Amino acid sequence: MSVTEPQGPAAQGRLAGLRDELSASGCSVVLEAASAPDATGGGLTLHVTPKSVVSLGRAVAMLRAAHLPLQIRGAGDAPLPARPGVAALDLSALDRIGPIDLGARGDQVWVEAGCTVAALEVAARRAGCTLGALLPSARSSSVGAWLSGPTRGQRGVPGARRESAALALSWALPDGRLIESRPAPRSAMGPDLAHLALGGGGRLAVVASAWVRLLPASEVVACSVQCNTLVDAVRAVERLCLARLAPARARACVLPGGAVRLAAAWEGLVGARLERARARRELEPLCGEVELGGDAGHWVRGTSGPQAVEVDARFGSLAAWAQRESGLPGAELRLLGLHAGGAFAVLQSAGAGDADACAAAARACGARVLAPRRLRDPKPEWEAQGAGGAFNRLLTALGAEERAR
Amino acid sequence: MSGPLPKATQRGQALTRDLAGLLGGGAASCDPIDLWAASRDCWPRARLWLGDAARFAPEAVCWPREARQVVQVLEFAAQRAVPVVTMGGGSSGLGASLPVRGGIVLDTKRLSAAPRIDLPGRTVDVRAGMLGARLEEQLAAVGATLGHFPEDRAAATVGGWMATRSGGVSAGRYGKIEDLVLSLEAVSGAGEQLRTIDGPTAGPDLAQLLLGSEGTLCVFTAARLRVYPKPRVRYRRAIRCASFGGGLRAAQALVRAGLRPSRLEVLDALSAVLAGFGNFGSGQLPPMLRGLGREGTQRSLRLLLGSPRIVAALAETLPSALLVFEFEADGPDADADVEEDGAEALRLCAGPGEEGTDLGARPADGPLGSRSGAMLPLFAAAGAFVERLDLAAGWERLPAVLAAVRKAVSGRALVRCKLSHAYEGGGALELDLLGPPGPSLTDLLDDVAPAAAASASAEDEPDEDHRSPERAAEDALAAALTAAADAGATLSHHRGVGLARALHLPREQGEGMRALRALKQAFDPRGILNPGKLLL
Repeated sequence: MSVTEPQGPAAQGRLAGLRDELSASGCSVVLEAASAPDATGGGLTLHVTPKSVVSLGRAVAMLRAAHLPLQIRGAGDAPLPARPGVAALDLSALDRIGPIDLGARGDQVWVEAGCTVAALEVAARRAGCTLGALLPSARSSSVGAWLSGPTRGQRGVPGARRESAALALSWALPDGRLIESRPAPRSAMGPDLAHLALGGGGRLAVVASAWVRLLPASEVVACSVQCNTLVDAVRAVERLCLARLAPARARACVLPGGAVRLAAAWEGLVGARLERARARRELEPLCGEVELGGDAGHWVRGTSGPQAVEVDARFGSLAAWAQRESGLPGAELRLLGLHAGGAFAVLQSAGAGDADACAAAARACGARVLAPRRLRDPKPEWEAQGAGGAFNRLLTALGAEERAR
Repeated sequence: MSGPLPKATQRGQALTRDLAGLLGGGAASCDPIDLWAASRDCWPRARLWLGDAARFAPEAVCWPREARQVVQVLEFAAQRAVPVVTMGGGSSGLGASLPVRGGIVLDTKRLSAAPRIDLPGRTVDVRAGMLGARLEEQLAAVGATLGHFPEDRAAATVGGWMATRSGGVSAGRYGKIEDLVLSLEAVSGAGEQLRTIDGPTAGPDLAQLLLGSEGTLCVFTAARLRVYPKPRVRYRRAIRCASFGGGLRAAQALVRAGLRPSRLEVLDALSAVLAGFGNFGSGQLPPMLRGLGREGTQRSLRLLLGSPRIVAALAETLPSALLVFEFEADGPDADADVEEDGAEALRLCAGPGEEGTDLGARPADGPLGSRSGAMLPLFAAAGAFVERLDLAAGWERLPAVLAAVRKAVSGRALVRCKLSHAYEGGGALELDLLGPPGPSLTDLLDDVAPAAAASASAEDEPDEDHRSPERAAEDALAAALTAAADAGATLSHHRGVGLARALHLPREQGEGMRALRALKQAFDPRGILNPGKLLL
């Protein structure tokens, strides 16, 4: 249930009182005019920066008790204009990274939610590890935003599956209590409560820190082939995934002559080499000769232009998008987080259209747009799964009700 | 059956009449034999309820055939304020489906229409009441497999697997059931039909918040599961390692390298003794320990289990552990693929610091773990208690978890240990606590010594609880679980919570219990689903 309350003098007074309470609980607090004023031209925004995980819990409790919608930011997250009546919870001060002890600690690292994914990758690389192949938007965000964002911190794992990179989480409930899950690879002690925070965008719980599983850094083992069409390239990658030979990343691009180049790369200490050899057997009947050397390892990691959009899609949707772009030089898709049913993809249309047009095309094919953030699809959520009532009851039970945004 | 059948109550008869009116004749019953069948599962502790065959009997049992009828049953139960306990195959080893507060048992076994298999798409749509073994048969008939082979697969249903986050021996390769579920259908306690989406969705993952809820949030009615081509070739090897810790390191190295064995186990020395495999061929077995193997008699078992500290000390002198791996593959090049995987695995196991010895394929044929597990009924027959734990933790914590459990039950039970599942992020330990039939030698000595010092009087009878296998099992289990939790393990990897682990749930979840209660309010606001389980 939501309550709408205009920004008036009384509300401003309450915000000022809240500012003082938050300051006393160990947060840096700024109360300022909203950068995107409400319809009346007024409005204040509370910027709260907890200095520790404990003060994050306190801040969440106070802000939720005031029924204020939270806009959660970690360092590096794409900034959105703060709306009036919204509390901007800035986690950038929570940026500690624990020691990384390769192998002995099972290749995992404890990290606070406000740390950037890029900084974590740098630390992991120094220790001979990596976070693996991630979408560009995930790489440019904070750990908290990555885990609570639309990818739920998932990435591809060997065997054509996706798993969350978070082995364990600590998160704050709306009443400020901190919950920690155990850093175990799997558990059957009831439902996986971490999923209240993973992918939730902070509505039900706010990620405070995580144990993130790292992958051993290894040489990139790649190959490339020529396909007749972009659709053929998508179907070839799907075939690899169905054979449980999903690469860590793949890229397909329509070349100037109309031919399509497909490259795929595997990462891993031993398994990558074996999987590439088996993938070659799968690809050759479809696409002809498979090139193992060359620049495939470098090419597959290339970046896309600013008009590209990131999506989560099934292979059918990717093939439909590829069909629209077939034969148009410059059209390309880059695939990560591959599993037997689909992948995360960065799509770039061939035409001069902007990201909006590319996103519209992707949606028309059934893909879910993840980035850029302003184009992100908020659905399908629980309501489309018959659980709209349950979600509302969950908000109430957790004390996460908000005023109308 | 060792006690009287439960009797139908007046309320049970009324419930049955009304449920039959809703679902049709033959879809509800309060016959004593049906109530008895619904009053128990495969919890070993239930075998100790001598003379009390139906400690937790329901008042009525019903068998809906479709999701719509499940909705009807839940609406009916909510109107009458009667608990509803979902039961699949009744194969839980922890008491998950026991109707501890009576009410209606909703048996899902008639929710079992023929599965729809899409082999090119690698999926199967299956109803929740389908027996896992039957599903695997039907998949095998078209050349597919689910790759999910839990210990209870002969009797368990797909819905039961989902309710308990079940895991099979090949979970390291195929994933546990929560990895295999692409979408699910369920009816919440509020009577809402839930259908998760096999595809991209926004917000928290609804399915992951329902899986493992053990009938407290919803009744699963159907699922879409990932399937794979049935493997054509398997390659197995057994490697003798210098120690259990060395075996763990070798197993970690294997998965860290990106290899995906369908089976990867490390067995401790006691497992080898129980399996009749001596000490992995690395020397003579101490004569006393031979009584634990297949040569042993009930009398020798009773004697040895009465001295767990001595037997454990002897077992610790055995130098070896056994690592067993298996690779499998399908397709025309399957033979070459498994040979290649196996060669890489052997190279890693023999690598610097590990120096495992290849014992060939024979010891790995017919799983050693199963052979040692097959001994467990003999222990039970000798009057001993047998409690199985399935703990999981990150690789770096596993040795400490095992040490903590051994210390906690030292003198009270023997601990047989096996690394049962290996993932990139850690592993699962299967531990069997084998306790003495009646008081242990140590307990008797502890009782006798102070009694003698106090010039034994008639009042100084040993505590009766020492003589109760159920109490001894409870004590050992509680000590082991507490120690494991303190060492950082999760207390269940694939068997769920049930009654056996329920009291330890707060220790594991901590403040998460508040979130669990919030989920209960959201999905079962009327509080009718499996009350008492998960402490909800």
